[in-house]
Amino acid sequence: MKLWIGIGVLAALFAAAFIIIPMLSSSGDDAGEMVRHIALGSKIRGLDPQDIGDTTSSSVGSQIFETLYTYAYLKRPYEVIPLLADDMPTISDDQMTWTIPIRKGIRFADDPAFREGRGRELLAQDFVYSWKRMADLNNRSTNYSAVFAGYVVGLDEFRDYTANNNHVDYDREVEGLKALDSHTLQIKLTKPHNFLLYWLAHLPTAAVAREVVERYDSEIANHPVGTGPYILVGGYAGKSSFSMIRNPNFRGEHYPTEGEPGDKEAGFLDDAGKRIPFIDRVEWSIIEEDQPYWLNFLKGNIDSAGIPKDNFSQAITVDRELSPDLARKGISLNKFKDPSVYYYGFNMDDPVIGTNKPLRQAMSLAFNRQVYIDTFLNGRGELPKGPIPSMFPGYRTDKVNPYVAFDLDLAKAKLAEAEKIQGGPIPPMRLALGGTDTTVTQMGKFFRIQMKQIGLDVEVDYMTWPRFQEAQKTRSHQLFGLGWVADYPDAESFLLLFYSKNRSPGPNGTNYSNPEFDRLYEQAKGLPSLNDRIPLYQKMEDIVIEDCPWLITHYRLAFILHYDWLKNYKPNDFANGTLKYQRVDMALRKRRLKESE
Amino acid sequence: MPSQRSANQWVEAWRRMRRQRLTMFCLAIIVLYIGLAIWAFTGVGFPDWDKGDYTRNNEGCSLQHWLGTDIQGQDILFQTIYGTRVALTVATVAALLAAVIGTVLGTVAGFFGGIIDELITWLYSTLASIPGILLLMAFAFVLKDKQFDLFGWHFRLTGINAVYLALGLTGWVGLCRLIRGEVIKHRDRDYIVAARAIGVSNSRILFRYLIPNVFHLVIITFSLSFVGYIHAEVILTYLGLGVVDVPSWGKMIRDGGQELAKGHWQQLTAAAVAIFIISYALHIFGDALRDALDPKLRGEGI
Amino acid sequence: MTAYIIRRLLYVIPILIGIVLITFLLFRAISGDPTDRIAGKLATKEYKDELRHQLGFDKPLWPQFSALHKGDYREFADNQLFNHFKDTFTLNFGQSTQYKQDISTMVKNGAGPSLAIQIPSFIIALFLEITIAMVCAFQRGRILDRLIVVLSLLGMSFPFLAFIIFGQYYLAYKLGWFPISGYPSHFGPGVLRYVALPVVLGVIAGLGGGVRFYRTVMLDESNADYVRTARAKGVGETSVMFRHVLKNAMIPIITQVVVIIPFLFLGSLLLERYFGIPGLGAMMAEAVDQADWPVLNAMTFVGSLIYLSALIVTDICYAMVDPRVSLR
Repeated sequence: MKLWIGIGVLAALFAAAFIIIPMLSSSGDDAGEMVRHIALGSKIRGLDPQDIGDTTSSSVGSQIFETLYTYAYLKRPYEVIPLLADDMPTISDDQMTWTIPIRKGIRFADDPAFREGRGRELLAQDFVYSWKRMADLNNRSTNYSAVFAGYVVGLDEFRDYTANNNHVDYDREVEGLKALDSHTLQIKLTKPHNFLLYWLAHLPTAAVAREVVERYDSEIANHPVGTGPYILVGGYAGKSSFSMIRNPNFRGEHYPTEGEPGDKEAGFLDDAGKRIPFIDRVEWSIIEEDQPYWLNFLKGNIDSAGIPKDNFSQAITVDRELSPDLARKGISLNKFKDPSVYYYGFNMDDPVIGTNKPLRQAMSLAFNRQVYIDTFLNGRGELPKGPIPSMFPGYRTDKVNPYVAFDLDLAKAKLAEAEKIQGGPIPPMRLALGGTDTTVTQMGKFFRIQMKQIGLDVEVDYMTWPRFQEAQKTRSHQLFGLGWVADYPDAESFLLLFYSKNRSPGPNGTNYSNPEFDRLYEQAKGLPSLNDRIPLYQKMEDIVIEDCPWLITHYRLAFILHYDWLKNYKPNDFANGTLKYQRVDMALRKRRLKESE
Repeated sequence: MPSQRSANQWVEAWRRMRRQRLTMFCLAIIVLYIGLAIWAFTGVGFPDWDKGDYTRNNEGCSLQHWLGTDIQGQDILFQTIYGTRVALTVATVAALLAAVIGTVLGTVAGFFGGIIDELITWLYSTLASIPGILLLMAFAFVLKDKQFDLFGWHFRLTGINAVYLALGLTGWVGLCRLIRGEVIKHRDRDYIVAARAIGVSNSRILFRYLIPNVFHLVIITFSLSFVGYIHAEVILTYLGLGVVDVPSWGKMIRDGGQELAKGHWQQLTAAAVAIFIISYALHIFGDALRDALDPKLRGEGI
Repeated sequence: MTAYIIRRLLYVIPILIGIVLITFLLFRAISGDPTDRIAGKLATKEYKDELRHQLGFDKPLWPQFSALHKGDYREFADNQLFNHFKDTFTLNFGQSTQYKQDISTMVKNGAGPSLAIQIPSFIIALFLEITIAMVCAFQRGRILDRLIVVLSLLGMSFPFLAFIIFGQYYLAYKLGWFPISGYPSHFGPGVLRYVALPVVLGVIAGLGGGVRFYRTVMLDESNADYVRTARAKGVGETSVMFRHVLKNAMIPIITQVVVIIPFLFLGSLLLERYFGIPGLGAMMAEAVDQADWPVLNAMTFVGSLIYLSALIVTDICYAMVDPRVSLR
């Protein structure tokens, strides 16, 4: 019988482990400390600002690094304001020389890389150095081409010099990039660059300190040291959670006193003029699967969350409002427009689809956008018109795009026309999608079903994202699904996707080419005033709508949920590093969590 | 004659298994699944997978849709049945491929010995040293979307073909090792030596005497590895390496997992139960087959 | 003895060469040049050429025998195959194509979390499996034994992925016994909280197969002649179980355990992904997703190396302990 007793004890132990382990050491937050809990949906690729290209790394890195300019947190339409700069740039009459004053007294966070471990003052030279880093081929930054290539005098030559050169001399002079004194930066351009100001608010142009880069060398991506409100504790690499604490060297900055109409009522101006940041510690966790992400939010383990598609009906009732269950928990819903367009692209180099305008139009007409948005996006999409989304200056509410309607009769008529051009039935087509997960396969299937309605056969190739990109660069897709998110609040950010000089491997993935469009595009780019550019943008949009290189599906609407203990949380499409404005009511959080138990 | 003896062995094994009621019940389940798979192959009475009904998606159980519908408005019960087709095809093709490779290499190595044996032993020792899941993922991934020109025959590997190939190419090692050992044992037995002495050709010895004597090993390994392949399909599909556009159990579990928190439990549960039942039946049947054919093997962890 | 060890070590060399050859074929020859992907969307041709040169993809794939004819050994040796051999054997795996981080660092970082799940799972599972197997041997043929056999088959038949999804949903979310997912940034007692559920799920999922295996081992031993003799002599059943059966079953058990241990380092792909544990399993799943060949290459080689080492160690141990193992 001894054996039985042994087994009994063992079973009891096992059962006890089940109950005891969960109770062990629940991570308690220190009393009085204000902590923000955020979850990221994917891993960080690296925190070297010059090299950051993905939104996840950018949302983390921007709490640490700062740029010369930024966008006002509350104001809409978006407005560029100085951040590390002391004022807006002085631009010479010929638009070729920009002079930017830098704020005095800004210090980097403390780090052993600095003398005596104390962060030194930020100088104009730091920007010169950082931007040269972006140009340096050895750093493999993918941002240079978009930001500076072809515009800054001598910088392209510097880039060429770094090729095949492992010991780049950063003291080598670049004529267009100079620190006139310790706090004045001068940029000389080769031609006017109307969007430069936006790029100077873009994280890759943030300042890093040369001492830090040289000390950490190849490990720099895991050792971010900047001038921003927070510092990273102990790196992020290889962790699924990491923390940030307040940067004691952070200058006294103040909460904005102006917003857009309605902000006062919504409580966004309650903290106006107060010293920021409010939050003492930020706890980041990485949760890649949708199910745990959502379950963690419902438990209150994270303060805010986008809604994974499949948990939508639980969160949002049919009329697109928050479900009462969640409202009772103190959760509220933010809806806002994302600066994005989603589309299926037609490869204009393809012998079948590229030469057959009625075919493209027929496909666009056969796609039921309303059902698509309702079923797969749970309504989080806006019916599109053209490539300029509704939140951008230049969008026309009264514009009618005949090819975005769902009209099977017209589609069939267009298809008949297309078959005449083809000289017979249209052969089966291939759609490439980047991804193999549930969401992507569901969308691929929907596309196929839609095209079948007018008798078109489509085969879908699901490929990994890297393979998708490779195929796009070699122009081997016939059809492909993609989205584009604007980097700055100007419609040019979308129209550049149709400019013939941007064809693959550039961002113009459809390889669309139209001389009239190109002419208008070049003309618009030379105009300094947005109001002058808008009529040209609209002409360009009309051309694209008629030629139909895209089957536009929707403009995205983002729905973000957050608990009421998180204050001052206003989504901003372009501004970086907005955690410093937010506040967490720790007492309320504690109460809410207790209630839900 | 040895070949006679092995023919009797099969009859005897069958007779033994006939007496076990549970085994026969499991065999009936297996036959039922095969029947469902064949039904799915014919496609008679099956919904069109390229059609959606977005007015009736994500429905609960009803008389019309016994297990409800998924996000595309398609019937979950029929999806589950259709999944039988994918699962059984994957497992059969992979197990066959592994059996052929394993048998051929195993007998060749055991029979001829020498440098050929060394080479084959080296090959399978190498493969056996690489962690199985890594090897499987690497093969499935590398083979996916590859174009091949073999002897003027051009073909392209789509998701599922790559899975067949990957499972087959990585799954033969155990069988090969087993058969090689068995063949070596037989090679030096009197009847083979005698056959050689009277000038029977190598190929005749191989096919007439050796292979029939090790064939039960092939059958046993085949039946026991079958379950493994069904489960591997789930994991490969989760990793995005399996089928995409037709319903499969792996796809249903992966997609259904996301629906669970929403209260739609049917898709996940249906696929899980379908896998569960066939796996259970195959386990029992495989064990019975092994015990009936060669009880010694049990101790060797097969 | 020394001679035996040396021979045993030499025997591994061709296998290692085979492994590197396979990784070369899979991850270099068939998978192709990743330069375009790493370079990013707007990269210029000069930049790509430079990058291709840095990664060594501008060299010929195979040794150029024409160079050998010319007597140019340098050119002959400078090809991707030889460089791959050199890099792999010096454990110089380069950088991940998506994280621009040294792979050796990534592997080092991932091993901790993986082992934090795998070691407790392994120990608990082994303990439970052997205990239950002994119960079976003790009760062989009776109702409890049969029940356990049926249950273990049931356990083996349920798909693991569905098991994880259900387990996470009910135990962590619905019942709230465990945290849903995550892993603390520093190793400490807090880890226990997060690994508890993955460990429990891992143990239960693996229990069926384990019990089945050890039960067979135990039954074989308990039917052995010396055990029957002991019983005939009137030794109590409990004493037979512990003194004879368990003791003698140790050899097959240890053999089995040695084969499993190396694979603990690889982590559990599905568990780590669903529970957000930054281990090697999750790393591999992501590498597959992102076509990150260098990472898969490194994992394959390191995994095989550990496995081979474990085999050698056991063989040598056997040889030392058991004089019957011929030192051929």
